[in-house]
Amino acid sequence: MSGRQIMTADEIRRATTRLSHEIVEKQAGTAGLMLIGIQRRGVPLARRIAASIKEHEGVEVPVGALDITFYRDDLSLVAQQPIVKGTELPMGIDGRTIILVDDVLFTGRTIRAAMDALVDFGRPQAIRLAVLVDRGHRELPIRADHVGKNVPTSREESVRVHLEEMDGSDGVEIERLPADVGTAASAGEPVR
Amino acid sequence: MSLTVDPGADAVEAMVPSVDVAPETQPVGWRHRHLLDVDGLSTSDLELVMRTTDAMREVLARPIAKVPALRGRQVTILFYEASTRTRVSFEVAAKNLSADVVNIAAATSSVTKGESLVDTVRTVEALGAHMLVMRHSVSGAPYLAAETFGGSVLNGGDGWHAHPTQALLDLYTMRERLGGSVAGRKIVILGDLLHSRVARSNIWTLTAAGADLWLCGPATLVRGFEAWAGRGAAAGRRFHVTTDVDEALRDADVVMALRIQRERMASGLLPSMREYAARYGLTRARLARAKPGALVMHPGPMNEGVEIAAEVAAGAQSVITEQVTNGVAVRMALLYLLAGTHGTDLAAGA
Amino acid sequence: MTDLEVSRAWIVDPASDREGPGEIVVRDGILEALTWLSGADATGVTADGVVIAPGFTDLHSHLREPGNEDAETVATGLAAAGHGGFTTVCAMPNTTPALDEPGVLATIRGAAAASGSPVTLLAIGAVTAGRAGDRLAALGELADAGVVGFSDDGSPVRSATILRAALAYAGALGLPIIDHPEDSSLTEGAEAHDGFISTVLGLHGWPVAAEAAAVGRDLAVLGDVVRDEPSARLHLTHLSTGEALDLVRRARSAGLPVTCDVTPHHLALTDEWVAGARRWAWDASGDPWADDALVASPFATTTRVNPPLRAPEDAAACLAALLDGTADAIATDHAPHTDVDKAVEYGLAANGISGIETALGLVLAAVDAGHLPLLRAVRALTIGPARVLGPRAPRSAGFEIGAPADLVVFDRSDRWTVTADSLLSKGKNSPLLGMALAGRVLFTIAGGRLAYEEPGV
Repeated sequence: MSGRQIMTADEIRRATTRLSHEIVEKQAGTAGLMLIGIQRRGVPLARRIAASIKEHEGVEVPVGALDITFYRDDLSLVAQQPIVKGTELPMGIDGRTIILVDDVLFTGRTIRAAMDALVDFGRPQAIRLAVLVDRGHRELPIRADHVGKNVPTSREESVRVHLEEMDGSDGVEIERLPADVGTAASAGEPVR
Repeated sequence: MSLTVDPGADAVEAMVPSVDVAPETQPVGWRHRHLLDVDGLSTSDLELVMRTTDAMREVLARPIAKVPALRGRQVTILFYEASTRTRVSFEVAAKNLSADVVNIAAATSSVTKGESLVDTVRTVEALGAHMLVMRHSVSGAPYLAAETFGGSVLNGGDGWHAHPTQALLDLYTMRERLGGSVAGRKIVILGDLLHSRVARSNIWTLTAAGADLWLCGPATLVRGFEAWAGRGAAAGRRFHVTTDVDEALRDADVVMALRIQRERMASGLLPSMREYAARYGLTRARLARAKPGALVMHPGPMNEGVEIAAEVAAGAQSVITEQVTNGVAVRMALLYLLAGTHGTDLAAGA
Repeated sequence: MTDLEVSRAWIVDPASDREGPGEIVVRDGILEALTWLSGADATGVTADGVVIAPGFTDLHSHLREPGNEDAETVATGLAAAGHGGFTTVCAMPNTTPALDEPGVLATIRGAAAASGSPVTLLAIGAVTAGRAGDRLAALGELADAGVVGFSDDGSPVRSATILRAALAYAGALGLPIIDHPEDSSLTEGAEAHDGFISTVLGLHGWPVAAEAAAVGRDLAVLGDVVRDEPSARLHLTHLSTGEALDLVRRARSAGLPVTCDVTPHHLALTDEWVAGARRWAWDASGDPWADDALVASPFATTTRVNPPLRAPEDAAACLAALLDGTADAIATDHAPHTDVDKAVEYGLAANGISGIETALGLVLAAVDAGHLPLLRAVRALTIGPARVLGPRAPRSAGFEIGAPADLVVFDRSDRWTVTADSLLSKGKNSPLLGMALAGRVLFTIAGGRLAYEEPGV
């Protein structure tokens, strides 16, 4: 980690557990729930939340993965991030309550793209949003229903979530971006 | 190709950039403004196309097989040669990406009558095209278009020279059926190599992917390829050329038959279609010389009874219809990747 | 009339087989003095700086007038010639109408006079009426009117019987038949040299046999004719293959009256350029993909020429032919084309390279690379062509003290970039566009008058 740590592994674990309780509480149970993680780090988070729900409710909530690559509103990122990770939904989403799960909520554009994508798959009864970190600076009228930690940031900063499944260890850090990050296409942080 | 997200498969995933990683640490993506040939694609380019095609195949499997990735983009399909299947394949691909499609079937260009290719391309651009998919009967024509056109040009086949999307969909189909790789597999391309852009492009992709490639056809139609094979050996990209169909087919993993055209008789290159079918046609008996379960491929359209027997084309080993489906996915992948370059050339390290 | 003094330059005089430090004085258009320097005066003067040579003669140029003035006129063609260092240009007869009778020759001469250019324009008459290949053109009348030879260039002399008759008839007139050797049945639809490059690029091949077979035929016919008409002379133009040059080599050693020329682009460029390479022939491996030598787009129509750019071995054979004297001359085959004729698909593009201004640069590239001595290069541009023209050569092709000056002054240490603007020809169809060539021409003096002067010198 090269920045300032704002969440430890334990803090992530506690937040995840709390999110899983909140989700069940809001739904007044687990019926109709499906957790859909947004690629990439939303997916292991969704699995962890599902595991936690299984632990305290004894119910296995279905988990899916959603890739919003083709729904982004900025094609100039294709050159840098062309590789898609894949969408897999274990079952139809009609009539279900979908909990979208993502690691960081920033401008809200990723969530907008995720909702566009979901709507192409069917008609859920409701869509809610659970995120590990909300760093502010929304550009669209989107809010999370369940938040692990609120972290005020400036636009020049970058929030990085590390998860053991992908990065070898757990942690959240915040880092100031250098003034010039290279090519025009990479100015500022990518779409969130 | 599995689309499951499996945290254990992250050895591959680790190469993939995440949106929250700083841009300068991400690996290089697609940097080609045009796709005119496959000889300029690196191995990482090929991998990128394969993986993007996986994702597009998943899209095609959805109840609504459509994504908004190319919304607001105009894709003009300019075909100087008659072709229904490839043209429709591109059209479907573009529409699945929510692009607006304009279809032009132009008569073969001539300098002295009608509009020149350069003028046509300028007109097409003035009408709002961001991407141009072109097929032409003269080798090299898409390069002329690329010089004139401000957006991206995708070569849908030019003369005898190249058919990049066909080679890529062929590679995709083979890899999928052969456990993910064609390295070391014996792959045979059988037929009129001299006039085949499909063969030329497949030579580049299959040798790059490490296949044991064999080209086979009558002496008049493999002319020049022996010399190419010789140089390929020196450059580390070897392949074999033979007129002996039995030697070629023995223990093959894949047999790709190429269409033989009647014009070859008229130009004195072959005595007759009957003789070609007898000596080189892919019959069930010939196919039996290949490995059991060897794949049968054909770029289409087929002359059943000539280069391929009807029963072989429709048989259990044939993946010809998969080629067509994969073709749409590959073309979606390429339109998507090219659209990301916004018609600018990123190759100069921008 | 011009006055010019150049001191401490490298003088190349193929007529006396001599090169070295020297100086020249031109007064009122007459070459008054040529002094060789030695000792202290000569120190520091090398062949790498300013060079003075006799004005070049081009045996093969297409000036397009009459009939295709969009591509070039006599005026622009002669201006381009001057820029290239040429003081004598032979115009090929594939104009519209063809130069098959004296009236057309008068038109061309009139245009030359009207242009005011001091470059000498010589005309090559057609062999057959309209260049159609069926019957002889008015050879005698054309000879009387002053043509220096006969050719159907653009096309070969198709019929062997016509060639036989023409050789005899022209021989008796003291003039050569200049044949463009091509067996058209082998080149139908051909686009690029038949080889590895054309196979990979999917272009119709232009077989070596098409040139070798035609040369073989021509030499056989010449052999027959010479028995009855010993004055018959054959000149084979723009030979591009090792095979054809070997045939000529054998024929010459057997005493046949045959001469030939090679073009600068066949010396220095190869079919690799069609694939997008931009390296000289002597640096080429034949497989630009393996060497990562592709720096330009493939299928550039500026590389489309008849005969086509060949394999590196053929370019080497052209150089070898110049070195051993098999090829007497370098001729440019200057073939300007309009954008309309070239900005089309490769297979539909007109054949030809606009080359009279870049000829020196290409030849010097071979000299710089050590493959061609400077003296021999200059010989091939001066004495060689004059020998082919024989008695109808306008002058001695050397330095003649007391005669009107005919020379070119160029600076080998100075490079110039080939661009549409820097070319004086209307034909911008050069594969060298954007490249820098060594050997900037400073002055070209023809018949005592300035044919070209580099601005700012």
